[in-house]
Amino acid sequence: MRDFILKRVAAVILPFVCVYGFYVIFHGHISAGGSFAGGIIVGLSYIAFSTIYGIKKGRAKMPDKVLTWAESFGTLWYGIMGMVGISRGVPFLANKLAGVDLGVPGALFSGGLIFYIGLGVGIRVASTMITIFFTLMEDDRENAA
Amino acid sequence: MTAVIADNLPAFVIIVPLFAGVVLPVFARRQRLVEGLVVLAEAAGLAGVGFLAYIVFTHRGTDWVYQMGGWPAPWGIELTVNSLAVFFLFAVMAVSLPIALFTMGNLKDEVGSNKRTARFYTLFLLLVGSLAGMALANDLFNTYVLVEVATLSCCGLVSSRGTPRAAEAAFTYLVLATLASSLVVIGIGFIYVTTGHLNMGFASQGLAQAWQDRPHVVWLAISFVLVGFGLKSALFPLHVWLPDAHSSAPSPASAVLSGLAVKGYMICLLKFLYVVFGPALMKEFSVDRILVLAGMAAIICGAVMALPQDDLKRRLAFSTVSQVGYIYLGFGLMDENGLAGALFYLASHAAIKSTLFLSAGAMIASAGKKKISEMAGIGRKMPLTAAAFTAASLGLIGIPMFSGFIGKWYLIAGSLDTGDFLPTVIIIAGSVLCAAYLFPVIRAMWFETPQKAKQESTVQQECKTAVQHAAEHMPAGPGVPREVRVKDPGAAQKLALILLTAVIFVLGVVPGPFIELARSAAAELLMLR
Repeated sequence: MRDFILKRVAAVILPFVCVYGFYVIFHGHISAGGSFAGGIIVGLSYIAFSTIYGIKKGRAKMPDKVLTWAESFGTLWYGIMGMVGISRGVPFLANKLAGVDLGVPGALFSGGLIFYIGLGVGIRVASTMITIFFTLMEDDRENAA
Repeated sequence: MTAVIADNLPAFVIIVPLFAGVVLPVFARRQRLVEGLVVLAEAAGLAGVGFLAYIVFTHRGTDWVYQMGGWPAPWGIELTVNSLAVFFLFAVMAVSLPIALFTMGNLKDEVGSNKRTARFYTLFLLLVGSLAGMALANDLFNTYVLVEVATLSCCGLVSSRGTPRAAEAAFTYLVLATLASSLVVIGIGFIYVTTGHLNMGFASQGLAQAWQDRPHVVWLAISFVLVGFGLKSALFPLHVWLPDAHSSAPSPASAVLSGLAVKGYMICLLKFLYVVFGPALMKEFSVDRILVLAGMAAIICGAVMALPQDDLKRRLAFSTVSQVGYIYLGFGLMDENGLAGALFYLASHAAIKSTLFLSAGAMIASAGKKKISEMAGIGRKMPLTAAAFTAASLGLIGIPMFSGFIGKWYLIAGSLDTGDFLPTVIIIAGSVLCAAYLFPVIRAMWFETPQKAKQESTVQQECKTAVQHAAEHMPAGPGVPREVRVKDPGAAQKLALILLTAVIFVLGVVPGPFIELARSAAAELLMLR
């Protein structure tokens, strides 16, 4: 890999892509996009990193263990947020009924639990995208050898 | 604390298996912990279903409607706890707990590595959770999502052995099941366009008013839903994927696929037809007659196709095609007895086919032979496994004292109620054919002696005994003949087989409460109450 320009440009752009992904996740309830789209953007920034700098470096940035934990606990986080309602004596996934402050409409912290649930979904989606990419690359290498 | 759990039980029955399944990959290295978590989640599910059944029995006549997030019906998502839901939930949990027990300790031999085992358990729990959701969901789109979760888990389970044959079967299944999913979602789309509702109760009311304005749209919706779920649950002409998929999966997976997954789609279809479209519309579009005809064709053709199979698991898979026919036949009878019989038969077949696949799997794993012709005399080496297989076979044929008999009894009663003679004949003919493809297996297991032993002289036999004696005191290696190691599986596997056989016996000997639950579910569906 001697693509000097590609590497330099990626080094400048990719951090912003990642941050933009989180921006989309966190603004899911007040603007277009959402945690799924945002999660894919975050995952994409890592996938781009691994394709440009090589799978080895990409894997070093995101070890399997971290991916597994992110996948499992991103989803579990959703369940825990659902339990907030149950702990307050109202049904699963209740938001306003559970007494969560909904804030001013249009502000960043205005969806109650939706903001936090979105974070869990985003992490799950991002880690799943990266896992799928790594799995595909791995199988490719095995077949070649 | 107890009150909190009891109040939210419908949600917990779904989310406990789902989230337990999702967390498992983290503990992939610690095999014991994973197995413990799976069995714990299953046991918790069974206990929860027991409590739900108690509530349904004490509050007869009123459904318990659980609103997700506290949103009321037209907008929010509802879970409905009624006789049908509890009946199917009970079947799911009572059968999947023994299957989970059966996998303890020996799943690694079936699928390979620890990582694969954790993956298998994740898919297994996702499947159980989504089946529980299908039973409870009172919402068209959520039903579709749960069907998708179940389908993808099934594909993973089919391919979990990693062999080329399994991959091919899984791919065929994936393509056909995805096609079926898209048919279902198009059907749901038509219902939504016609009525503007996704909640089953509201959609049903809307259809009752709107179908005369747009009969073609409703007709299309029924067709898409029927073919979609028919393809997923292997209704006779659409069964092509099933034999490959169910015979190439690891045996616990075959058990859960044949025993439960197929039934989940049937329950979905049942809810779509009876709850959403309603008995009147079904008669109007003669869906009932299509179901009866397809069911009768499935009973005969599935059994005839099972007859020439020499691969034991393939024979069992074709038998599933045949047994699915009985349940569809009952769905189409539109009669309280017939529908109750179909539901009872569904639960009974879930237990029976799981027992058959698990015991067949134990025999195949232990003897290293897949063919029925090679299984001569295995009953004497693995008495408990073969006994479980025999009991389940008798149940499937419909011998009194076993659960299949009660189901067939009510199915025949239902078909006689409708005044139609043919279904009765077909049910009895199907039982005879079932005996024709299962009795040879039983005979081979118990009454035949292996070919080799017959030809051997006394000297050879003495030599063999000496070799066996030596082999028993030596670690098993490549030089040791494999037959020496043929014996019943470990304690957890034995317990699982005994539990499943007990379910078959209990359903057959004291069917009272279960038949009552099935009858009240049938009455609810037929709107007799």
